[in-house]
Amino acid sequence: MSEPVGVPTSEREAPMSRVGIVLVSHSAGLAEGTASLAGQVSGGTVTIVAAGGTDDGGLGTSAAKVQRGLRLADSGAGVVILPDLGSAVLTVRALLAEDDPQVILADAPFVEGAVAATVAAAAGVDMKAVAAAAEEAWHARKL
Amino acid sequence: MPASFEQAITLAGDLHARPAGALAVAAGRFASAVSVSAGGRTADAKSVLGVMGLGAASGQHVTVTAHGPDAEEAVAALIAILSEATKVGG
Repeated sequence: MSEPVGVPTSEREAPMSRVGIVLVSHSAGLAEGTASLAGQVSGGTVTIVAAGGTDDGGLGTSAAKVQRGLRLADSGAGVVILPDLGSAVLTVRALLAEDDPQVILADAPFVEGAVAATVAAAAGVDMKAVAAAAEEAWHARKL
Repeated sequence: MPASFEQAITLAGDLHARPAGALAVAAGRFASAVSVSAGGRTADAKSVLGVMGLGAASGQHVTVTAHGPDAEEAVAALIAILSEATKVGG
């Protein structure tokens, strides 16, 4: 599993806690590539953790990877989780306590949602606004 | 007193993913509503997907409009990013 990308090392402004992003994918490569893209587009100030593939490196989701992702991504401002496909939701839901105030599971297209959420987090908005930015991705046309 | 400001720039390069991201991150830090227009289309500058969806290309005229308490600063910041970030593409 990859280390989180875009962990802030220095800030031009006063240090602030940003919302972290966890990308849950059936594919390690898809999660890591998407994390890398979102980190580049947003300028590298947001913690994005790729939680892709099964524990033995196959295609599927891993509760252990998601749990580790949640731990790494939370710096106090909360975490927004993005699943790649509906079946990843089962893995995430099984882990989350009811009404955890620090975590939002967002329903969004994976790549667009990851980029939109990470850019919103980089701007310093709260976790509800980060999740809303991801979910607005349903309406973003490419052409 | 909320105010409106507007400024236009001609892009030196295409508005690719990274400059669009830099623009949206910067816009999101202002309280004002900020929009970007190009080729007859307008996007919320705080929405990176909206900004990328404009498909603004080198040589195109782009207008930044802001309305709110920090509108003047927002327009200045975004014009600076459009001027710098599109030079290298992304």
